[in-house]
Amino acid sequence: MALQFDLHRSQFVTNPVLRFLAYAVIALLLNVVHLVFLRFVAVSSVTPDLLLILTVWIAIVEGQFTGMIAGFLCGLLFDVVSEDVLGSNALAKTAAGFVAGFFWRDSYALQTLGSYRFLLVVALAGGIHNVLYYFFYVRPMQISFAMFFLKYGVATTLYTTVAAVFPMLYVNRRKDQ
Amino acid sequence: MRRFIDFVVRFKNYITLCALVVMSFSFMNVGNLSQLGGFRAVIVGSIGWMQSVFAWIPNPVALKSENLALRELNLQLSVEAARSRQSTVENNTLRKMLDLPSYTDYRLIAADVIGKTTTQLRNYATINKGVEDGVQEGMCCITDAGLVGIIIGTSPHYAVLQLLLNRDTRVSAKVQRTRVDGIIQWEGETFLVLKDVSRSFDVQAGDDIITSSYSARYPANVVIGRVTQVTDEANSLFRRVVVEPAVNFATLEQLFVVDAKPNVERTDNERRVDERLHQRTSP
Repeated sequence: MALQFDLHRSQFVTNPVLRFLAYAVIALLLNVVHLVFLRFVAVSSVTPDLLLILTVWIAIVEGQFTGMIAGFLCGLLFDVVSEDVLGSNALAKTAAGFVAGFFWRDSYALQTLGSYRFLLVVALAGGIHNVLYYFFYVRPMQISFAMFFLKYGVATTLYTTVAAVFPMLYVNRRKDQ
Repeated sequence: MRRFIDFVVRFKNYITLCALVVMSFSFMNVGNLSQLGGFRAVIVGSIGWMQSVFAWIPNPVALKSENLALRELNLQLSVEAARSRQSTVENNTLRKMLDLPSYTDYRLIAADVIGKTTTQLRNYATINKGVEDGVQEGMCCITDAGLVGIIIGTSPHYAVLQLLLNRDTRVSAKVQRTRVDGIIQWEGETFLVLKDVSRSFDVQAGDDIITSSYSARYPANVVIGRVTQVTDEANSLFRRVVVEPAVNFATLEQLFVVDAKPNVERTDNERRVDERLHQRTSP
């Protein structure tokens, strides 16, 4: 049984088609989680952006090019299911994937994912994501972007970074085993 | 050609970034999902189904808050019911005397809120009534407390409504006491703001804000909220009027869809006049 699991795991690691399929399934599941369950952990309307964490993860494991495309597709999917302005999340998550991609190092993905560096990348990519997202968000409203971003953008970035601790700890434990 | 391919390979990340950014802006230009036609009904239906499957999960924080709100509302309603009975009698007598037409009684469609997206400032709700129940895009939603929002997407069995606490909210409103007009907007908190109220107009904390008859989208005289703060904005001719919504969106579970669509004759007439004036003023 253990052998079978290892075989499947190695196939998953070496076969990019299987891997990308897994990313797509995870993205769909995270969308459902966002829409149905995340309200239970909302703090003053602020929730962690799980799709952003996935985008950063993909960028660190697969590289900048794949990270950007994954960010774009994740964002577009979220725009469609969350009734948001089409393209706003896609743009923000593309930028997040692009920034996170700078931290990709061949064969060093696990080290990055399992350390505090992952949290720093999530915070940086999240900050840029939220600057872009809220810039377009406040456009139809007659309010200051800076004030709105300081209130909601920073809070969302922090909450997302805190949520990224869980995948980081998971990878960290697996790495030690 | 070789040099061009080398260039593309070398800068593929930046080229891809540019292409994706252009695509994102193109999608933004398309606007909202309403322009995707039937595709949207499928999304609304699928999300509605998913949310209805998990709607049984209680939210203890919301339940506690709802309990408190209901107790307050109950007390308030019992006082108002007595006043209302008296007012109705007076109103009927005065209407007969003045020979005024009575208000239209709209059909109300009761619906349960099966999903809410109040997180990350996407303030929408999904209800368990759709086109087959008579719900259409553009209809407004109310509760016993006041105005909730407007239907923006439908499928056969579900509908999505845009709550008042939404960046796209624009409601023509007036102060019930002094009949001062303004536009209700949301600025990202749990309250609304009544815009375009001149400094010289009489608005005070405690005044009730209702929908105006100028609105083509919302029926008139529906309660929106109560003024909690009035401040004179620096370097402006207008006042900042903060309005606390009458509806508690955090605990919203049931509502009524008002079966009333905008008056087509009125909106057509307004559009025609607007176009004529525009033609006259344009060179």
